[in-house]
Amino acid sequence: MNATIRNKLIWGFSGVLLLLGAVAGIGIYAVFSLRQSAQDATRIGGRLNATALEIQVHNLEAERRVKSYLREVKQLGADKAREKYLDEADFELSAIESLALKAAKIAPTAEKREKFQKIVNETATYKIAMAAAVTNAENEEAADTAKAYFSAADRLHDYAEDGEAAGREASQTSQEDIDRTSKSSVSMAIGMSLVGMILGITMSYKLSRAILLPVEHLKDVAENVSLGNLEVAVRRYSDDEIGDLADSFSRMVTAVKFFRMEAETVQAEHDSAGGE
Amino acid sequence: MKVYEKVVLISKNYLGPATESFIARQCKSHLKKDPGALMTADMANLAKWMEISGGLLMDQAKAAELSRKIAAITV
Repeated sequence: MNATIRNKLIWGFSGVLLLLGAVAGIGIYAVFSLRQSAQDATRIGGRLNATALEIQVHNLEAERRVKSYLREVKQLGADKAREKYLDEADFELSAIESLALKAAKIAPTAEKREKFQKIVNETATYKIAMAAAVTNAENEEAADTAKAYFSAADRLHDYAEDGEAAGREASQTSQEDIDRTSKSSVSMAIGMSLVGMILGITMSYKLSRAILLPVEHLKDVAENVSLGNLEVAVRRYSDDEIGDLADSFSRMVTAVKFFRMEAETVQAEHDSAGGE
Repeated sequence: MKVYEKVVLISKNYLGPATESFIARQCKSHLKKDPGALMTADMANLAKWMEISGGLLMDQAKAAELSRKIAAITV
């Protein structure tokens, strides 16, 4: 491809348009990345919510087993009742602790982490209260220790409910963020890109015309003059450097025309003098 | 500045290197005088011929413009 002004302009403006396209692409990519992050946050919120529900189920199951133990310990005897109910209750407590620890690790904010950490801490209190209730199940302190145990179980349940709410809130907030960010950012990125592209194309067209039209006209005039045709009008298209160039060219053509006329006149005079 | 010099200065923008020869031809052929002897009183006549003869060499509008400028020379 020749390095003409037209080609240079085409390449230059194509580059600008390409750049605009790249900027738009980066913008859209950023929006979609943001959307992806928000979706991840929603998933985490959902997981926290499910974990908190699971903790509640384990808590209810542990409570049911401890209740059964306290009710039947006198009939079955401590060892058998422990084997039948408390081993499972211990397992439920371990599950609660493990789930709460995992949730605290993935929770997106300090506030939400704290809610799940409270469950972990409460599990320790719960274990102590349960051990006291089991130990005193057959003596005069049974009622008090059982009451303390059920209070601990209720607290654990409340904390798990708080965790559930925190997970739900994280999920909903992220979903709202996704919708809001997607709607505004995508339309803004597309709108800005379109405006940029329309401006780029319009400017490219106007600038190419502003440069190419007078240059091509001057090229035509120069070609005509070089072939001996001096009857060409040199037009000044614009009040800029190309306009000045057109004026210079016009002066040159006028002078060449005049000198040629002079030469023709002198020749005619010479011919007529020779004829006489 | 002499009248002739002013005429040359103005005409240079339109006639380029042919300015002096062109003015000399107009003066000799139509005003019947030497270019150095030009006076402000000659400007109207010179302007007329500059437009007519200049129109043969350049765009008519440009020739008219040059003529107006020549006619406006007062000193």
